[in-house]
Amino acid sequence: MNKVAIVGTGQTKFLKDDGDVEKLLFESANNCIKSTNNCDSNDIEGVLISTNNNSKYLGAILSESIDIRPKISHSIEHLCSSGTNAIISAYAYISSGLADMILVSGAESATNPGQVLEWDKSRGNLGHPIYWGSMLTKSHKRRFQTTEEELAIVSAKNHKQAMDNPCAYDNEARTISEVMNSKQITDDLRVLDCSRSCSGSSSVLLASEEKARTFSEQPIWITGIGQKTTSASFTKNILEEIESTRISADLAYRMAKIESKNIDVAEVHDAFSVCELMAISELGITSNDKSGEFVRNLFNTENRMINPRGGLIGAGHPLGATGISQTIEITNQLQGKSGKRQISDAKIGLIHNMSAAGTSSSIMVLKN
Amino acid sequence: MTFFEDQLKQGVFQICYCQNCNNTIWPSKEICYICNGKTDWKESVNLGKIMEFSKKESTYFGLIEIDDGIRVLGDISSTSIPEVGQLVRMNVSFRSKPHYSFIVENN
Repeated sequence: MNKVAIVGTGQTKFLKDDGDVEKLLFESANNCIKSTNNCDSNDIEGVLISTNNNSKYLGAILSESIDIRPKISHSIEHLCSSGTNAIISAYAYISSGLADMILVSGAESATNPGQVLEWDKSRGNLGHPIYWGSMLTKSHKRRFQTTEEELAIVSAKNHKQAMDNPCAYDNEARTISEVMNSKQITDDLRVLDCSRSCSGSSSVLLASEEKARTFSEQPIWITGIGQKTTSASFTKNILEEIESTRISADLAYRMAKIESKNIDVAEVHDAFSVCELMAISELGITSNDKSGEFVRNLFNTENRMINPRGGLIGAGHPLGATGISQTIEITNQLQGKSGKRQISDAKIGLIHNMSAAGTSSSIMVLKN
Repeated sequence: MTFFEDQLKQGVFQICYCQNCNNTIWPSKEICYICNGKTDWKESVNLGKIMEFSKKESTYFGLIEIDDGIRVLGDISSTSIPEVGQLVRMNVSFRSKPHYSFIVENN
């Protein structure tokens, strides 16, 4: 298999208001192409779109709007992890030799059909994510004695880190007390424990080893990939676990020939506060019963190792763009270009993106 | 509207099972995903067990395990704070989507 690198990145700001998906895709794709060294848009052989939007033929529409005629163009939808799945599809095209350079662009409007999985009849009339989020949170509290304060620290940390992310929808600090006293959604969720659906777009350019150094002085290599789907129904999984993440992590670590202790920086899928605690445990970064303490220590020491861009809670969650935005953050970290968010001497980074209460997960390991 | 949904509308939760291997098929399908046998229906006994719960405003809701390990989300009526493992009785309906509601036994 050919090696594959990220050679360009581009984003829009994430916003709470609805946006035009075609315009958003164009803006982030254009920013992405401009970020490379001398990339002629005709070098791009594939355009993959990641979105939950119902608009059709977006790969061709974006191609025409940036004036290219790619060999490959189509959309990829996998709810909240559409973005990483699109990047991994592009990886497969390039590593197999079918293409040398692919643009992956994800976009969403704040109001989008990807937030509720209508198919899942086991959720009854309680289809909104707050219901499964409440179940996971209550169960984590019950089994691991997780406290309200530990959950609030996840949100306070991620909001604080998002203050230095110019693309985040919210750049305001939220104290632990503000999180704990924010509007109660259920007995187990406050509004500031929840990520928010946003409009926004993110794009990356992937290239083969042969082309990578032509377009970037600092290509960032995708060295590990793991994906797993355990079900589509929320109710078929164990509440205290995200099995799909655990299995994906194992696959990604094996492919990258690393262990969890080698990870310098990670973007994890904090759809709700509890998801960050569960994710860092399933990734092997800490254990379930120590996850609250681990995040408290990060917060107290201003260590941005987990979710330096602010995660989904701090930056916002434009579903189709989220996995790509996470990937851009890790790419920038490994290039030493993250400004105030920079983790010193980061060499290995991880992206964790999941869908529908963790029924599927996608993980990538990047190296500089 | 599917048979399952129509039956919910009549207040009946139908369990789909394989006539050949007897496996429970959830969500329901016409063909068994294990042996490709034809499936049939049996009525739920309408009893379940609380696996986890929370509360939104004044209404409890939770994850309930009913017949053959099938789990669904639904509202819980209880005069006191529910408990994990507590037995509940199920009522169902269909109003553009399934509604599952549960009453704590011996409330």
